[in-house]
Amino acid sequence: MIRKIFGGAAPAVLSLVLTAALGFFSGRSFRTMHRAEPIFPGQGLTAIRLLSDYFPPLKNTHGDTEVYLFRGKEKGGNLLVLGGTHPNEPAGLVASVLLIENIRAEQGNVFIIPRANASGFTHSDPQEGNPQRFAVPTPSGPRLFRLGSRLTNPVDQWPDPAVYVNPAGQKLSGNEVRNLNRCYPGRAKGFLTEKIAFAIMELIRQEKIDLGVDLHESAPEYPVINAIVFHETSSELAALALLDLQAQGYDIRLEASPVNLRGLSHREWGDEAGIMAVLLETPNASHGRLKGKPSSALVVDGKDKFYAKASRLGWLFVPYGEEGIPLALRTARHLAALQALLGALAEIAPDKAVQIEDMPAATEVQERGVGAFLHPPS
Amino acid sequence: MPMIRLFYNLIVLYLSLHLIGYLFRWKKPWDQAGAALVLTLFLLRLFLVK
Repeated sequence: MIRKIFGGAAPAVLSLVLTAALGFFSGRSFRTMHRAEPIFPGQGLTAIRLLSDYFPPLKNTHGDTEVYLFRGKEKGGNLLVLGGTHPNEPAGLVASVLLIENIRAEQGNVFIIPRANASGFTHSDPQEGNPQRFAVPTPSGPRLFRLGSRLTNPVDQWPDPAVYVNPAGQKLSGNEVRNLNRCYPGRAKGFLTEKIAFAIMELIRQEKIDLGVDLHESAPEYPVINAIVFHETSSELAALALLDLQAQGYDIRLEASPVNLRGLSHREWGDEAGIMAVLLETPNASHGRLKGKPSSALVVDGKDKFYAKASRLGWLFVPYGEEGIPLALRTARHLAALQALLGALAEIAPDKAVQIEDMPAATEVQERGVGAFLHPPS
Repeated sequence: MPMIRLFYNLIVLYLSLHLIGYLFRWKKPWDQAGAALVLTLFLLRLFLVK
């Protein structure tokens, strides 16, 4: 009797129904990773373009992404800001969104790509247990942002080679083929990540960019941290910006872009396009190896007892107290560095000056939090 | 739809139908539940949730 009830067609049908329900709900949840959160540009926005406008083969691929353009009233230089080259380094994305939602260009033109590797935002790093999103508190409630992966989604680019020889000739481990910041200057007929890099190079060439700034974060145990990494075309610019930042009380250092480390934005933008190229690093515990449980709070508040202990043991390259290094501070550092770089640019090359109005002041972002300057969630 | 995707979908559909067949052939509920879980993954692949 029991066998008849539990061992026949009825449980099989029930299993099928449960399978369908499980497939439907998990599939629906999974698909939301492909949906980019809305960005609400401020009054100063001139146009939204796509990266494929500069390199059409990127159209209708997961590598295509939005380019926000702010044209200044007066003539000046052209600035490119990249966030989300590595989608697991959230301060770059958040600083870019903060700029898009607040600024006006007074002099020169500003191009902002908040999700440089859009495909990397559609998945998470395997075996990390990262949350799909992190929540930034705003006065009207939490605003969600995707926490993606350092690399392009393997669904969009697979398989990886055993050894990757990038377009600049550097030999790297195979999975670096999906790391946008190893694929410059890109290949027009290469892998998707190389095409994204090529499209960004095309934007730089076609829009005659003068200064490119790539916003990153690094783990506190990584030596290149709280740093301005500069190409030799921008050594004077970076040095002036450093003085300004140190005068404001920021602990920051200069790192010259290694000549033999090829394929990175700060190297190839300068070598290939001759522009001033800078990469900024802030400390982010959420993608470090010593962290505890990954969570949205770890991304936003940056508090981690294991990093605090590692700091006490002298294992880190930045001081890391119990109070953590919150997203507000990391974003503020990016904004302060950008402002300092623009000040230095105006001094070095007044004809290429870029003047931005209504950029949230770094000190205020630090005090009031990132959410105070973000559009309310929709 | 590119041919390769059609071919891929046909393979997954074929394997899914086999799993459904197993579901009704197996008598133990635990075996059926196991097949159902694998079937979930196959269905997600079939509808290209990736």
